Amino acid sequence: MSAEARYTTSRLTLWVDGFMTRFIRVGGVAVIAAVFLIMIFIAAVALPLFRGATVGTPVHLPAVAGVEPAEAPMAFGIDEWGEMPFLLDRAGRLHFRSATAPGMVRTVDPQLGASVTSVVWQSYAQRLVIGTGDGRLVLLETGYAPAFADDGSRRITARPEQVGSFPIGQGHGARPIISIGYGENDQGKLAAALLGGDGKAPEVHALTFTRKRKLGGGGATVVDQDHDLTALVKGTPTKVMVDDDAESVLVLSKEGDLSYIFRDGNAFTLRQHVRPFADLADPTISSVEYVLGDVTVVLGHPSGVTRKFSLFSRPVTRPDGTIDHEPRMFWQTGEFDELPGPATAFHAAASNKSYAVASGSTLSLRHGTSTATRWEGDLGFPIAGVAIGSKYDRLVVLDRQAGLHLLPLHDPHPESGLKALFGKVWYEGQSEPIWDWQSTGGTDDFEPKLSMVPLIFGTLKATIYAMLIAVPIALLAAIYTSEFMHPRFKGVIKPTMEIMAALPSVVLGFLAALLVARLFDDRIPSILCALVLVPAVAMAIGAWWGHLPRNLRVLVKPGYEVFVMLPVLVVTVWVAWSIGPVVESVLFAGDFRAWWRNSTGLSYEQRNSLVVGVMMGFAIIPIIYTIAEDALSNVPKALRSGSLALGGSRWQTAMRVVVPTASAGIFSALMIGFGRAVGETMIVVMATGNTAIMDFNIFNGMRTLSANIATELPEAPQGGTLYRTLFLGAIILFAMTFLINTVAEVMRQRLREKYKTV
Amino acid sequence: MTNAPDNRRPRGEAQVWLTAMGLAVGIAMVSSLIGVILWNGLTVFWPKSVQEWTVGSGSDNRQVIGQVVDVRTNRPVGAAATAAVTELQVFTANKQYLGQPFGFIPAADITAVRDVPGVLVIERWKNGTLIGTPQAVSLPGAQPLSATAPGFAGAVAAGIERCTAWRAEGEHLRKHEIGALARRQEQIRLDLLRAPAGATAAIKSRFDGFQAEIERLTAQAVEIEGRMKGHELALTIGAGAQARMITIGLGEVVDLHAPNELSLVGKTGVFIGRLWSFLTADPREVNTEGGIWPAIVGTFTMTLMMSLAVVPFGVVAALYLREYARQGPVVRFVRISVNNLAGVPSIVFGVFGLGFFVYVMGASVDWLFFPGYDKPVFRTGGILWAAATLALMTVPVVIVATEEAVSAVPRGMREGSLACGASKWQTIQRIVLPAAVPGIITGAILAMARGAGEVAPLMMVGVIKFATELPLDGEWLETDLVPFVHLNQKFMHLGFHIYDLGFQSPDSDAARPMVFATTLFLILLVLVLNLGAILLRERLRRKFQSSTF
Repeated sequence: MSAEARYTTSRLTLWVDGFMTRFIRVGGVAVIAAVFLIMIFIAAVALPLFRGATVGTPVHLPAVAGVEPAEAPMAFGIDEWGEMPFLLDRAGRLHFRSATAPGMVRTVDPQLGASVTSVVWQSYAQRLVIGTGDGRLVLLETGYAPAFADDGSRRITARPEQVGSFPIGQGHGARPIISIGYGENDQGKLAAALLGGDGKAPEVHALTFTRKRKLGGGGATVVDQDHDLTALVKGTPTKVMVDDDAESVLVLSKEGDLSYIFRDGNAFTLRQHVRPFADLADPTISSVEYVLGDVTVVLGHPSGVTRKFSLFSRPVTRPDGTIDHEPRMFWQTGEFDELPGPATAFHAAASNKSYAVASGSTLSLRHGTSTATRWEGDLGFPIAGVAIGSKYDRLVVLDRQAGLHLLPLHDPHPESGLKALFGKVWYEGQSEPIWDWQSTGGTDDFEPKLSMVPLIFGTLKATIYAMLIAVPIALLAAIYTSEFMHPRFKGVIKPTMEIMAALPSVVLGFLAALLVARLFDDRIPSILCALVLVPAVAMAIGAWWGHLPRNLRVLVKPGYEVFVMLPVLVVTVWVAWSIGPVVESVLFAGDFRAWWRNSTGLSYEQRNSLVVGVMMGFAIIPIIYTIAEDALSNVPKALRSGSLALGGSRWQTAMRVVVPTASAGIFSALMIGFGRAVGETMIVVMATGNTAIMDFNIFNGMRTLSANIATELPEAPQGGTLYRTLFLGAIILFAMTFLINTVAEVMRQRLREKYKTV
Repeated sequence: MTNAPDNRRPRGEAQVWLTAMGLAVGIAMVSSLIGVILWNGLTVFWPKSVQEWTVGSGSDNRQVIGQVVDVRTNRPVGAAATAAVTELQVFTANKQYLGQPFGFIPAADITAVRDVPGVLVIERWKNGTLIGTPQAVSLPGAQPLSATAPGFAGAVAAGIERCTAWRAEGEHLRKHEIGALARRQEQIRLDLLRAPAGATAAIKSRFDGFQAEIERLTAQAVEIEGRMKGHELALTIGAGAQARMITIGLGEVVDLHAPNELSLVGKTGVFIGRLWSFLTADPREVNTEGGIWPAIVGTFTMTLMMSLAVVPFGVVAALYLREYARQGPVVRFVRISVNNLAGVPSIVFGVFGLGFFVYVMGASVDWLFFPGYDKPVFRTGGILWAAATLALMTVPVVIVATEEAVSAVPRGMREGSLACGASKWQTIQRIVLPAAVPGIITGAILAMARGAGEVAPLMMVGVIKFATELPLDGEWLETDLVPFVHLNQKFMHLGFHIYDLGFQSPDSDAARPMVFATTLFLILLVLVLNLGAILLRERLRRKFQSSTF
């Protein structure tokens, strides 16, 4: 073996070293990157909530033979699958077009027997409500259905069917219907028509229906009564509408009035008369349409101003101070962005509260609740009609030449957006804009309320009550342990306190729900007594002890006070517990819960913030205690000695020398405790009612971001609005805790620097 | 000077006592919490005596037989404190006959109390516990034996033993043999879905063959379980005017004891037996009775899988940060961030686990390995994703602990090794890592303790309230990527068990003993892990201290 070989490193060693260097570099960076990717991934899932709608490039289907371009179609719409738009002409013929084969047209004549003078297309029911020139209401169902061929391909077919024909207001002979409205639900049906067109004064009529039973089951709907509502209407009527619940008729006048006629059985009364644009120079209304649910109307002004009015009952304060609710009426609940001019076409989506509106060549997609403009664009041609596909995935625009333009629509989260997630929103049925969280509801036209604000509020509420309880105990205990307690006990006491930090929070949550909530429920005065008595007794004993003769005082050596305090604490709590009922009968009229409700008007729940605060205290006391104690103990001994040598008492030394020096560390302890409380999940889930409340009342609950995620995410469909909103909640939590912890960590590092110089 | 009376008082003594009170409150909180759990958790298994209360006096009195569960004071809202009513909450059992197993007796109305002699507390497989006085036992081929006759207890015990054996045999058939056949049959059903139109007949006949075999085994199980017939016990339940005779099959009985006849030793025996069966039995009656074995196995398997993932990754990342990365502002920022990640709420990791592991990774695994399955295999919560989620959650803990341990290794040791000609990796492998092992193990144990006690993230990624099958057993399923470990299976977890029983249970009174017992077990597990971490660290530290040069 040559000398060189003896001193060269084995090739294997070099290879292993090189490999491990690369392996650890790559692996280490990968692990750290993976951990950081969490934030990016969650943010990426939440991000689409803030995007508006996107509309793809239009496909133009030019007008075809058989549909005269000169004759503007009366109505048009599209099937659920977005493949077969139709146009209805004045003669009552339906022209079905194909969205895939541009030249194809199939014309069906349902034999209405008269010309079409007015029509409403109810896409949610696939129903055309037609008013004819001879004064009849005709209900026509488009009968769209998918048909599957043997090779599995799908074709949409349409079999229009006339399901009803009812004459309206023909007491003085047939008059053409210039506006029609119809609504039906399980309870009943209602139709309204505006008769006119022949120079005579227009009349408003309503039809009520009844079900005539046949032998052997089933039954046919027949007209019950024809009501002349003309006398109830303010101004010259130009349009009638009926809501989907068949309980009201809305009449628009040429002068700009809206008459809200309420129906109760066969009785019609004018409930409200409102002028939506009374504040503008020209109060006339150019358009009025319902959005889904028929609780909100969107009103257009010739200038392009667009407002929404919704039905809700206003609270009225009676003279004797009680609050009553008046019947539901229309009040302005918002204003949309201004259009360039009067609305020329309108269609409300069938699956959410969005609607499409056109003015000239501008097409705009808006959300009825948040009033946000989801998308707006200039199509470059005058728009004669617009329809939103039932699945909210396609817009169909009609031009003046009876040509169709199909625009793919991508707007998966119409209810969200910055405004809906963080701003106050005027939801339907509410008497004012609110922040609210309510993700699921019982009815079909329920609208999700997805505001983050009550959740953030709830998180802070839970955290603040927990901190109020934990901080005094933890800091006092930390100061005592590091400054006054005999060092020999520290090795036992500190791990004992730290055991509390290791307790799984589900255990604390279950104890909160099953034991503490029940225990506290009717014993609030006792708790209040304990809160006052425990510190008072401790101070009193301390003061009294200091005045005892010296030979008695030496019985408890400095550093052993805590062992005196333990029995004192037990006795004090027992005393507080026993005198609670006495205090209750003297101060709180016998029952605290009733007293609280009556005197503050706030609610009282068994599972409340106090219980959460106390149980969360168990989780954060050990954290604050440990870190604060470390910070205090690390203060250089020389400082203490100096202070004591100069004649400072042990309390003076602690408060004026040690605590100020360690203040940054104590602050960071508080921050880390705060961070833990912000993210605590199971205690809050189990110990509160989890209702999104926006008040600081200590005797009711809250809904925190984390509890909200825990209860809702397992049920949320992937990729849906709720799913993404919950991810948004997670990223807010992440950001909050990360920020708090970073501040704490930086403070701690600065403290370390400071100790170096002392 | 020293002898002169000191009349000046040091300032702030009262406040010092206040801080002492702060610590006293803290200690009292810990001890009361542990005390409450220990007391409630352990008394669940202690046989309580069965008493008979006479409520009301004169002709309209009634008798209640049961065990005292709780004494509580109720006060309706608006009532004064003096109007509070003290009630005994009594476990009357016999839900099948009384409608509900708990009753409340106002303490003021009780006119007489006595212990009921000879009464039995009978735990059953179905329909809840019975409390009744035995009258006679009849076994097939033997004369009915009266409760007063000698050998009665022995006959009952023998009957129960025989029935239990048959039950176990039948259950084995159903669960294992028939279960395995059913799984293979399910596989054939999936094949059938994917098969071309012409090839279905052969597969169908194989399917039918399995069906016939399953039916044959089922009939066999029914025959075995049928042998339990004729083993019967007659009892009187209720007292006074409501007393009635019932007869139950001994096959229904899980266990029985006569609490009023037991000595202290006998009670201890029953206590240990019930504690043991709680730890080793499957849950019954919507988890409110029986044991927590599947939850123990689930927690254990998940925690183990998590540690297997978290330790190597954490160590590699820490070694990189300490030994390989250039120390500078970037690494300092990364270090602070990793430290802070340990403080990020666990639920956030649960959200990530659901969004990434289940929906992204799970979908990819299904697409790669299980195309053509009509049900999601990995694209749903399961033990693998739960372990991965918790591993991600606890990796900062391990990184921080390892970094601390590695940086504590004296510089001289490293330099000595390098000076002797060792390469960097050799130095790390032979000098740095061995010295850092105590710290790394401590970190790993702390991570395990955190993982075992965590519930919120698991709710998103695969925990379930009742799992019929364990994530780890002798079966090799089609969906196993690793033999015998069902990575895609949902599992039970002690923490979630507590949440489910304590919070979601329809009958919280019935679930209460089980929740406390489970809580006690979980807390013991977590505390043992934490204490183990502390002790191990001390021991290894001493060992390595002596071996350094």
